[in-house]
Amino acid sequence: MTSICFYFQVHQPFRLKDFNFFKIGSDHFYENDNQNKELLYRIADKSYLPANQKILDLIHQSGGKFRVSYSISGTALEQFEAYRPDVIESFRDLVKTGCVEILAETYYHSLSFLYSKSEFERQVKKHSDKVKALLGVEPKVFRNTELIYNNDIAAAINKMGYKAILCEGVDRILNERSPNFVYKAAGSGMNCLLKNYKLSDDIAFRFSNQNWDEYPLTAPKFANWVHSVAGNGEVINLFMDYETFGEHQWAESGIFRFLEHLPMEVLKHPDFDFKTPSEIVDTYPAKGVYDAPFFTSWADEERDLSAWLENSMQGEAIKRIYNLEQKVLQKGQKELVEVWGKLQTSDHFYYMSTKFWNDGDVHKYFSPYDSPFDAYINYMNVLSDFELCI
Amino acid sequence: MTLKPKILMLGWEFPPLLTGGLGQACYGLFKALSNHADLTVIIPRSEKSLKLKNIKIIGLNNLGLESSEVEEEEISLEDFADVRYIDADLNPYPINTAFFSDPAFSLETLALKDPEEIRALYNTSETYGPNIMQKVATYTEIVSDIAKTKSFDIIHAHDWITFPAALKIKEATGKPLVVHVHSLETDRVGVNARNTVYDIELATLEAADKIIPVSKFTRDCIIKNYGIDEKKIFPIYNSIDPIETFREEKKIREKIIAFVGRITYQKGPELMIETAERLSKKVDNFKFVIAGTGDRLKDIIKMSAEKGLSDKFIFTGFLSKKYVNRLLAQADVYFMPSVSEPFGLSALEASQFGVPCVLSKQSGVVEVLPNVLKANCWDVDKLSNYLYALLNYEGIRKHLIEHTKKDIDRMSWTHSADQVMEVYRQIA
Repeated sequence: MTSICFYFQVHQPFRLKDFNFFKIGSDHFYENDNQNKELLYRIADKSYLPANQKILDLIHQSGGKFRVSYSISGTALEQFEAYRPDVIESFRDLVKTGCVEILAETYYHSLSFLYSKSEFERQVKKHSDKVKALLGVEPKVFRNTELIYNNDIAAAINKMGYKAILCEGVDRILNERSPNFVYKAAGSGMNCLLKNYKLSDDIAFRFSNQNWDEYPLTAPKFANWVHSVAGNGEVINLFMDYETFGEHQWAESGIFRFLEHLPMEVLKHPDFDFKTPSEIVDTYPAKGVYDAPFFTSWADEERDLSAWLENSMQGEAIKRIYNLEQKVLQKGQKELVEVWGKLQTSDHFYYMSTKFWNDGDVHKYFSPYDSPFDAYINYMNVLSDFELCI
Repeated sequence: MTLKPKILMLGWEFPPLLTGGLGQACYGLFKALSNHADLTVIIPRSEKSLKLKNIKIIGLNNLGLESSEVEEEEISLEDFADVRYIDADLNPYPINTAFFSDPAFSLETLALKDPEEIRALYNTSETYGPNIMQKVATYTEIVSDIAKTKSFDIIHAHDWITFPAALKIKEATGKPLVVHVHSLETDRVGVNARNTVYDIELATLEAADKIIPVSKFTRDCIIKNYGIDEKKIFPIYNSIDPIETFREEKKIREKIIAFVGRITYQKGPELMIETAERLSKKVDNFKFVIAGTGDRLKDIIKMSAEKGLSDKFIFTGFLSKKYVNRLLAQADVYFMPSVSEPFGLSALEASQFGVPCVLSKQSGVVEVLPNVLKANCWDVDKLSNYLYALLNYEGIRKHLIEHTKKDIDRMSWTHSADQVMEVYRQIA
C-alpha cells in the first residue's frame, strides 16, 4: 500500500503600515489594517473558501477516502476571526468530517526556535490552545515555520509530546534514499514525514508554467506519476501552501479542476489511498534515520535559512526583537506581549531578503514593499517605537 | 577589427581643469577607448603637462604654437588627486540666454579670427563664463577648419558646446556623427527649457547618426523632451577608475550628511533644506556638509537661516579634490536629491569611499548602483526617512557599504569603451 499525505499551509501575517521615522514615539499602532483586511478578503474568496468547499465535496464524494491535513497559523486564525469568520466556519465543517487533521505550529509563524526555546514553547502552546478553541481539536503532529528543521527541533518536539514532525526531504541529507518512507530523526527517534518536493512543486510551482515540458498538468498524468511509486514507497508527502489553489495558481489555470479529479484518479489504483500525518505514523514504521545536524527548510533551491537570515539587516532586526523577550514578559502587559509576538512573524524578515535583489528580480519574492531596504527600515522604525513603549 | 577607426573627438572640459563630471567622464572614456581607436581630441584648453598615451590632444589655447599636438606620448596622467577643480565659473549653467537674444545674433559673426585673440579667449581657467557663446562660436569655426586637415572616420561630440562644430563638420564632410549626451539643457534649466542651447541640442540630436546618453534616464529625457527616435539611442554608463581610498576621524561630533557638486536648480538644493528640517524635528545628531558653489548657494544659505537650521549646515564653498576626498572619508551618508541628473559621478566617488548613498530616482547613477536608497526627488518624507535610517541603523549601513563596494569593483571604463566601439562599428 502507498498513501498520499496532503498538508496545506494556511498563513497570513499582520503586515505593517507605512511607519515613517516621524511616527517613532508618537504612534503605537503598527498594522496596516486596510491592506490586511483587503488581502484577507481577496484570498478568502479566491482561494480558501472555494478550496475548502471543493475538498469538503471530495471527502463526501469519496465516502471519506480523500483525507488531508492543514496547518493554520495563529496570525491567520486571528485575522479570520476579525474579518472573515466564515473561513473558520468552513474549516470547522472540514474538521467535522473526521477526514481532516489540523497540525501544530508556532502561533506567530515565527523563527523563535532559533532564538528562544522558551518563546518557541510558549507559541506552540498558544497555537494549540487557539486551534482547540476555534476548531475543537488538539494537534498531535508538528510542523515548524517554512518547514525549518534540524535534529534539535525534532528532539524538542518529541519532548513536548508530539507524535511526528514534518520537514523537507532534502537531497543532501537523504543521500540517494527515497523521501517516500517514514524516517526517524537522528538522536530523538522522532517520526519524520519528508516532503516529496518534486511532486509537491509540480503542483505548487509548475502547474501553470507554460514553459514546463509537462505543461499542461492533468490529474490523470499526475496520478500516473504517483502510481509509478508503487512498490518503492509507502508514503508520498505532498506539502504546499494552501494559496496554491486560486491565488498562486489562478482559478483560470484549471487548478481547481485538477484538484477535483485528482482523488478519483489516484484511487483508481487499488494499492493507493489518502492518509493524514497521524494516520501515516500509526500505519507505517520508520524505515531509516534522517540526520539533520544543520537547519533546513522548504525555501528556495538552497533549502536553508538564507531567505530570512542571510544579510546584516535581517540579522540585526531579528536579534533586536528577541533581545526584548525578558523586558516584554516582565512587563506582563498582554497587549505588549501580543505586539511583540506579531513582530516575530517570519514574513517581516523574508521581505528584507536581498538574495535576488542584485539580479533585479524584484518579484521573485512576494512583498508589500518596493525593496528589501524599505522593508527593513519600516520594521526598524516600528521596532524603535516598540522599544520606547517597553 | 583590423584597422583602428579614426575618431575626431570634440570635447570641452578636460583635466586638469574640471568643473563637473563632463571632463572626468571624457578622460576616463578616452583613455579606455585609445586602445581600440585612434583619437584626435580637440578641446578649448589643454595643458602641456597633460599627455596621454596614444591620444592626440589639440588645445585651442595653443593654436598655431608648435606644441599644439602631442604625438604618442608615453606619460599618462594617473591620478585625479592632481587635478584642479576650479570654481572660477560661479555658474556655468544655465547659460544666460539674454546675452544672445538679439535677432541679429549668429555664431559666425561672434567668432574670433585672430590667433592671438583666440589663444587668449581659451587661456583661462573659466571653462564657460559670460562669453561662453563667443567661445562656442570660435570653437565651431576653428575646429571645423582643423577638421579639413585631418583624416577621420567618425565625429564624436560631447555635449552642446561642441555640437555646432560637430554639425558643421558633418555637413562639410558627410562623416557619421556620434553625439554623446552627458547633460541636457532640460536637466540644467528644467523640462520646459526652450532656448538657444535647447535649439542647438535639438538640431544636433536630430542630425546625429547615433546618440550615446550616459543613462537610460537621459535616454528617456531625449525621447520625451526632444522627440528623438529611440532606435538611434544607445545608453552607455559612465564608470570610475579605482583609487586608493581612506577613512578619516571626524572633527565634529555629529554625523555628516555630505553633498559635493554645483549648487544649482538641477541638484535640488531646496530639497536638502526641507529634508534637514524634517530630520531636525526628530534628531539632533547630524550636520549637512555642502561642498560646492553655484547660483543657488546664496538662496539656500538664506533659506536655512530662515528655517532656523543654520547650525545644521556647513557650506564649505568650493573644495579642491584633495579636500573633497577628506570630506568623503569622514562622511556618514552621501545625499544627492537631484531634480534631473543624467548620471551623477559624485555618487560613485562617495561609494568608493564607502559612504552609503541616498539618491533621487531622477539620477542615472541609480541604474548602476542597486544598493543605494532611492526615492523621487520630491518625496521629502521618504528621503528624510532614508537619511534617518542611515544615521541610526547599523544593519543597513553595513549591507549597503559591502554590496556597493562589490558593485563598484565590477565597473570599468574598458567595458564602456567596448560598448562605444560597438556603436562605431554600426556606422563605420
